[in-house]
Amino acid sequence: MRLSIVNVSKTFPSVKALDDVSMEFAPGEVHALMGENGAGKSTLLKIVTGLYRPDAGLLKLDGELVEFFSPRDALAAGIGAVHQERNLVPRFSVGENILLEHPPGRRGFIDYGAIYDRARVLLELLDPGIDVRAEVATLSVAQMQIVEIAKALSLNARVLLLDEPTASITDHEAEALFKVIARLKAEGVAIVFVSHKLDEVLTISDRVTVLRDGRVMASGEAIAEMSRRRLVSLMIGREERIADVAGGAKQGKVALELREIATSYGHSGINLRLHEAEILGLYGLVGAGRSELARSIIGDGRITGGAICVGDRPARIRNPNEALRRHRIGYVSEDRKGEGLVLSHSIVSNIAVTIWRRIATRLWLIPPVVERNAVTPQVQRLAIKSFSLDQTVDTLSGGNQQKVSLAKWLAAKTDILLIDEPTVGIDIKTKVELHELIAQIARDGAAVLLISSDMAEMITLADRILVMHNFAVVGEFVNDRIYENGSEAIMSAIHAAEKDRKHLHDRAAIA
Amino acid sequence: MIGFRKFASQEWAGLAAIFVLGSALAAFLSPSFLTEYNIYVMLRSASVELLVAFSQMIVLAIGQMNLAVGALGGLVAVLFGAMLQLLGLPLPLAILIALLIGIVGGFINGLLTTRTGINGFIITLATGSAFTGINLGLTESRPFHGIPVEFVALGDSRWSFVPALLWPPLIVAPLLAIFLYRTKSGRKLLAVGGNMRAAELSGISANAMIIVAHAISGGLAGLAAVLAVSQLGAAQPEIGSTWLLISFAGPIIGGTALAGGYVSILGAMLAVLVIALIENMLVLMKVDPYWVRFALGGLVLVTVGVNRWRAHQMGRN
Amino acid sequence: MSTTDLAPTPRARFEIAPQLGLAIIVGLLVVVFAWKQPGFVSSFNLFGMGRSLAVDVTVGFSQMAVLATGGMNLAVGSIGVCSVMFAGYLMQDLGLPVPLAFLLAVMLGGLLGWLNGFTIVRSGVNAFIVTLASANLYSGAMLILTKAQPINVLPPIVSSIGSYEILGYASPALVVALVIGLALYVFYRYSVPGKETLMAGANARAASMSGIAVSRSIILAHVLSGVLAGVAGLMVVARVGAAMPAVGGEDWLLPSFLAPVLGGTALAGGFVSVVGTFLGAMLVTVIRSGLLFVNISNFWLQLFLGLFLLAAVLAQRYRGLFRMRLT
Ligand SMILES: Nc1ncnc2c1ncn2[C@@H]1O[C@H](COP(=O)(O)OP(=O)(O)OP(=O)(O)O)[C@@H](O)[C@H]1O
Ligand SMILES: [Mg+2]
Repeated sequence: MRLSIVNVSKTFPSVKALDDVSMEFAPGEVHALMGENGAGKSTLLKIVTGLYRPDAGLLKLDGELVEFFSPRDALAAGIGAVHQERNLVPRFSVGENILLEHPPGRRGFIDYGAIYDRARVLLELLDPGIDVRAEVATLSVAQMQIVEIAKALSLNARVLLLDEPTASITDHEAEALFKVIARLKAEGVAIVFVSHKLDEVLTISDRVTVLRDGRVMASGEAIAEMSRRRLVSLMIGREERIADVAGGAKQGKVALELREIATSYGHSGINLRLHEAEILGLYGLVGAGRSELARSIIGDGRITGGAICVGDRPARIRNPNEALRRHRIGYVSEDRKGEGLVLSHSIVSNIAVTIWRRIATRLWLIPPVVERNAVTPQVQRLAIKSFSLDQTVDTLSGGNQQKVSLAKWLAAKTDILLIDEPTVGIDIKTKVELHELIAQIARDGAAVLLISSDMAEMITLADRILVMHNFAVVGEFVNDRIYENGSEAIMSAIHAAEKDRKHLHDRAAIA
Repeated sequence: MIGFRKFASQEWAGLAAIFVLGSALAAFLSPSFLTEYNIYVMLRSASVELLVAFSQMIVLAIGQMNLAVGALGGLVAVLFGAMLQLLGLPLPLAILIALLIGIVGGFINGLLTTRTGINGFIITLATGSAFTGINLGLTESRPFHGIPVEFVALGDSRWSFVPALLWPPLIVAPLLAIFLYRTKSGRKLLAVGGNMRAAELSGISANAMIIVAHAISGGLAGLAAVLAVSQLGAAQPEIGSTWLLISFAGPIIGGTALAGGYVSILGAMLAVLVIALIENMLVLMKVDPYWVRFALGGLVLVTVGVNRWRAHQMGRN
Repeated sequence: MSTTDLAPTPRARFEIAPQLGLAIIVGLLVVVFAWKQPGFVSSFNLFGMGRSLAVDVTVGFSQMAVLATGGMNLAVGSIGVCSVMFAGYLMQDLGLPVPLAFLLAVMLGGLLGWLNGFTIVRSGVNAFIVTLASANLYSGAMLILTKAQPINVLPPIVSSIGSYEILGYASPALVVALVIGLALYVFYRYSVPGKETLMAGANARAASMSGIAVSRSIILAHVLSGVLAGVAGLMVVARVGAAMPAVGGEDWLLPSFLAPVLGGTALAGGFVSVVGTFLGAMLVTVIRSGLLFVNISNFWLQLFLGLFLLAAVLAQRYRGLFRMRLT
């Protein structure tokens, strides 16, 4: 089915998200939709799925005018989607979630046997490891993403919209997804693919449409004739820039030390030493236990063994409050909507929250002027795009939200900063900016522990890299910032650990 | 032991244990507990409460609350009484119309919440006040006594220790279970409660399900009111005025999620039975009636706390 | 609840516009009632309205304090009546001086609120449930201890406070309510604990990760709520000149929610409107008093109250404000 978007516009109270855009998605093609954060990609997909009504313009399916008043209408027309946000029913099983649109059954009754059978068939394509009977609430973020994709596949849609489907899954799972996409393409499905990962876009798509500030910069151009350079300059309006992260900072004293740490999450024997003015990378595959380690450090999980030293003094950190106030440790969460930000509150509040106690007068009152003055430099330094500091954070684009969640820790001026997946879902331009910022934070003397699954990012930024696997540290090396060397070192550490484990396993089996 | 594990992992397992132990204790403390008549009395008072609990539970299932359960029940009760006494309608017809009034009342609640987008809590707070107002305005607080004798007798009749009034909730419970666990409409309703946005994206009409839930809730409140009239032998305007606590206590102690998307029908039933047991024990022991409220409050707190703690322990394993 | 437009309007945390609509509705109603029954704006009636307004406002603030955290306090009325009876007991049976008795009674309110907050934080059970249960515990305990007997031999000064008229039409209780309102406004807008409470209410996880002691904020909110419920109870004691066990209880449930919710406080937490709560209580008081004035029978009053409130809520509905679901 051919989906045409004709002169569509959509204005939110604060911004014009889409400005007279037109494009066409043809059957049997993978059509990439690219653009910076806030360019209007998700808004466009939400209009196509009937979630938003366009202010102007129209949609056509195979040349026929269509109008969607709700997601039902779009589904009925054969349009399926995986949205950027997770949309699952937490207390339902995986199977029931996958077939929520069309549960099999007769005369109004549900046939659970058929649900599980059909769901299993779909999951086999992506990740056979997920149990169709498990409650969705018990899954990891990556698994939920897979379930959503399976759910979209269950629709047998003729037009399939995928909004950053690979943002939180492993490369392995992404490969599986790409195979499925190739098959659907062969079956004549029109596929729209949104992603910030340039490499995967260049490999799997046939055409690309680029949005910038709600306007179409390139409409359905063949990927074959598109160079990476041109694509980038269409998206961000200028050439791609290499992050200026020139190290050169002298490593300082030890800021944070973990000795033989064990946690309630299942870590054991973790040793780690983080210096002032250093970026220590913590690399590992999804599920290696990196975020959990960071959480345990700030007291959001229990430490069950070993010792933590902050500076040269032993520390017992019971909660994030103590981490911030007593030990000056901050944690930038990977889950920015859930933990990093209070979406319904203003930019000012979100940034100043960490320093309210510091800037308050003796009566514990905060003069608004003081609050603003404390926040403004951070907003400027990070170039947060907003029309007012009182704007609520939920109206910012993803990239700007991420900047706000970093800004509050910059305002707090903590000595130690644990940064978890800072650039997931962030466009390439902002990504470079964030990289420079993180490098700058370290140069200014802070100790930074960087958690990232993006190997290129890790190798660009880290001074030293620790490799984690299965809740243990399996390797450590000094990063010379040469991609081949770094990736080689990381992969061999992980493989060695895998082999060790298999070996132990086999021995145990023999015994 | 695996069987036991499975049993213990159910929300209602703790309640079942409390009920059995409590009964044993009651039998030990008071010889009149295990008499046929006493058990009948206990179950009869639980009959209405079971329906009240179900009425609230179905609205909790969609993540809302219905504060008008009692007010609607009171209104249905007096209108039911008026139909019998003033209009002289035949009993079955009066019952049918009473249930319809309940359903319409719930439907209005549902319609108002969906049409305005205002939280059901607020809407039912206001409509509850209006329902009570109609009730008081019509009756000026005077009950209707002209209830057919056979209907009053039905409220007193029993088979061994099983009161006739227990049948309606016993029939409603499996119907609700089938609806919520097995039918497509029921699953849609729970999906809306579990994640409204996800449900809508999957083509489910959240508004329709919200209205359905409120209408069912109203119908159940109406049924509870009819039972209460039969039990009391008169259509008292105060019927429903004490339902608030029990309507929440039943489902919540039983494991229904306040946030929506998950209900436990068996749990709610056991919770109501445990509450009835405690009320009964206090009466048998001739405790000051003021203690009943106190004990009920304590019970809610303890069982919910224990449930939380247990869930926590299980989560850890 | 339509799916087509889920986009929230950007709004500052404290917004005057919705309250303006409410103020206009209240003003219009006053004009209508005064036009129908000039006695409505007599100094006698204004005094009476002010006195009951003070109670409604304080009860509304008591609820608002907990709504700010995204919870609810169903025990507002029970705490109120406990303070009432405790004050009566202190004055009649122990013969304590009135100011001391009032102070201790308010402190009891704070203590009961603290118990709620502590239980919620420690058990992790939803505030709705905990306060539903504690409402029964507190009322039950009060009835057991007082045997439901009123305490009516109070020092005469108590009822003279209640009937004292400032400038002929304002009651001291109203002044107290206004002062409380002012203090709360400053608290939520400018103070560290107030702002932290709102953050914790909007997103407890994020607040905690930003170094806010969320448990402490929740307990503080409940203490505040308890104190305010106690103050409201004492206002009634002064008005009636006796400590009645029938004060508060479930009769306060509806007004406690109406005032803040009409005023634009979100049930979901994280946002309060002090001015709005005051106006919301005013709306309720004006409707109630006005209906009595135009000779609606007491029995029908509740119906009209319900309908008026429904109409007011509808008229008040500004996009997004009431749309939040309970969580
Ligand atoms: N519900 C909303 N209310 C107000 N503004 C909105 C809303 N949703 C999106 N916007 C604004 O519309 C613009 C486009 O947002 P959109 O989500 O479509 O961007 P995107 O291209 O998907 O970005 P990202 O790559 O970060 O996902 C942004 O400026 C955003 O702030
Ligand atoms: Mg997007």
